[in-house]
Amino acid sequence: MEEQKVIPASRGTRWPNIAKLGCVLVRVTVGALFVFAGATKAYDPGAFAIEIQRYQLVPWIVAALISVYLPWLEMLTGALLLLKRFERGALLLTTLLLLIFTLALASAMFRGLSIDCGCFGKAFTATGTTVPLLRNLLLLVFTGILWMEPR
Amino acid sequence: MRALRQALLILLAALVPAGLTAAFHPRRAAWTQDKLLPGEVELQTVLAWGSDVLWVDARSLKDYEAEHVPGAILLNLEDWEQLFPRFVDQWRPEQKVVVYCSSTSCELSHEVAERLKANGIAPVFVLKGGWEAWKNRK
Repeated sequence: MEEQKVIPASRGTRWPNIAKLGCVLVRVTVGALFVFAGATKAYDPGAFAIEIQRYQLVPWIVAALISVYLPWLEMLTGALLLLKRFERGALLLTTLLLLIFTLALASAMFRGLSIDCGCFGKAFTATGTTVPLLRNLLLLVFTGILWMEPR
Repeated sequence: MRALRQALLILLAALVPAGLTAAFHPRRAAWTQDKLLPGEVELQTVLAWGSDVLWVDARSLKDYEAEHVPGAILLNLEDWEQLFPRFVDQWRPEQKVVVYCSSTSCELSHEVAERLKANGIAPVFVLKGGWEAWKNRK
């Protein structure tokens, strides 16, 4: 008697449509936020360097170098996330960047620095550090979801 | 491993526009910066804060009446008792206060800033270069 072949259900079919839609929304949110955040900083790197300096974590020359590099890295990773190209690499960088931003914000809060986040250049000022910290934690949860998304 | 390799390529790719920014962007930061004293801010920084700044002119009444930063309040040590209540009327908690005097060499702005802090006003900053820096702004 011929043995019946059991075809395992693919992960794609087991992954409900609602979850797929959720992943798309999460991807668009994270990707678009990164592109927007990068673009606002790339417009005025000098102002961004000052925002970095206020964290009192790096010397001025490092802040100046970060101010010309980080905005483009953010835009690139955000765009690649949106386009689903170099996806794993973009997701890895997004997660690492969010971890670094979160640690910097937490350290500013811990040291009692009265500074703005500087996350979106001049687009949003007087944001303090608490709301951006919570937003970053939420974005980290979002990246976690994207890591778990089946491919 | 694939994620790491891709991440490395993205990091390298971002160097290209970053290099162009460093070379040609009109608003890029200067690579060196004069040392700021504690509590001092550069004019460029204050301008980047936007309109939510309360300027305090620590110079004499005569200098203030001749010229001052638009919207600045006069508050000097000579007439402190009389001027401080006026300052408090205009000040909102959490608003950034920036004190200036005539130039880099004057100490009045630092003294007024210290006295403001002693009266519970925060955050208070001193404008590096004072009124001269404002007048010479580009």
